[in-house]
Amino acid sequence: MRPHFHPRTSLALLICLLAFASSLFAGGPSARKDSSAEPVIRVTDPDTMRIEGEKRFHANCGRCHAAPQKYPPRMMATVLRHMRVRATITDEDRRLILFYMTQ
Amino acid sequence: MALFVLLCGPVASAAQTPDTDKPVPILTGNAGTFSFVTGGQNLIDAQFNPVLLLPLGDRWLIESRVAFEGQFQRPPDGGPYAGPVTKHVDYAQLDYIANPYVTITAGRFLTPFGIFNERLYPCWIRALQPDPLILPINTAPSDGVMFRGSFPVNAQANMNYAVYFSATSIGIGSVDSERHVGGRMGFFLPGPRLEVGGSWQRTLQDDRKNAFGFHLGWQPAKAPLNLRAEFARSFEGSGYWVEGAYRLSQLHFLEREMRRTEFAARLQQFYTGTISPDVAAQLALPSANTREADFGVNYFLRDGLKGIFSYGRGFSSAGNYNQWSFGFAYRWLVPLGRVAEPSEVQ
Repeated sequence: MRPHFHPRTSLALLICLLAFASSLFAGGPSARKDSSAEPVIRVTDPDTMRIEGEKRFHANCGRCHAAPQKYPPRMMATVLRHMRVRATITDEDRRLILFYMTQ
Repeated sequence: MALFVLLCGPVASAAQTPDTDKPVPILTGNAGTFSFVTGGQNLIDAQFNPVLLLPLGDRWLIESRVAFEGQFQRPPDGGPYAGPVTKHVDYAQLDYIANPYVTITAGRFLTPFGIFNERLYPCWIRALQPDPLILPINTAPSDGVMFRGSFPVNAQANMNYAVYFSATSIGIGSVDSERHVGGRMGFFLPGPRLEVGGSWQRTLQDDRKNAFGFHLGWQPAKAPLNLRAEFARSFEGSGYWVEGAYRLSQLHFLEREMRRTEFAARLQQFYTGTISPDVAAQLALPSANTREADFGVNYFLRDGLKGIFSYGRGFSSAGNYNQWSFGFAYRWLVPLGRVAEPSEVQ
């Protein structure tokens, strides 16, 4: 007999799994000792941020649409918050793309 | 317990917004007017889709899109074009960015089944204006709650996910949806710009059925090419589409014009499910097994404005057909507040 899971039970299990996975990452990249494989770039150097931001802009935004023009920082901040949700871009990508798009 | 961990655990790592970059409310959206000629029948489609983005503080966002669409046809016996003008709320949702890994959404939201419905649907984004045949499969709006996010899993890959539950109704007149639960998970490799993922949805009313989908996207860095594909399987029907869009920016003549020109092609196939042809028609699905090939060209006149033209040929046991489309799509963006500090204004 095949095991049968009620949908609500499945959803609860899935949320618990996500919560557990989220908590594993909760310490953030800076808390990890071995960061050799960590893609998060916590740089503050403007040139590096601009280059990295442009790279991530083309990689992420180009998945769906052509490159838009640049808008004032406050507008770009709203657009990037919207795109973070809509296109599920990472928090770090959002930060670097916002920097690049407001330079 | 799970929600507590989700909401409280990683909060400390979320970034704060500097004052100079405080997001401002925005009214954006798109509009388009298109002429579709399918099987010799002309349809003029005019649509206006405003999107409101209202950020609150550092972590909240209210976003909503309303669709106004008029579809006008000339009666078979002649006379002026006439037809219905419809309006509906595509989404009206409240987003809470709990931490860098989890965003909680409540309200009416676009169902994350595949990628076309959420990300490629707006007329200014899509490469070909006719909908993919499988688009209606499990993409009706959801009314409920959703958890979603994206985070790097290693130096080469980001993972994104969405888990949602939709109630039968949220009690607002003229707003109805079905009761279902589902999820989507994908991996994006920024290096090769490759994205793959899968979707699942289970209907929790009437016939409790599962539906599955897979999606793929690839934008090679060395060519202005955009390849996408989706597959969906459900009791309503199954099928796939594969689409490529290529900008002519690598050609070395008429460079300005070539940069603005994009060729697109889509191949797709649909197989009927276990529903009747009448129900399929209500869902805007083909009533018979169908194959279709579409070819088009887009010309980007300026940022957010493009002219489109496409031709498609469909092969179906219900009758083969040609499909032509021509029109314009436009996207706008207007701030609803001050966008610059007084000291920044010249």
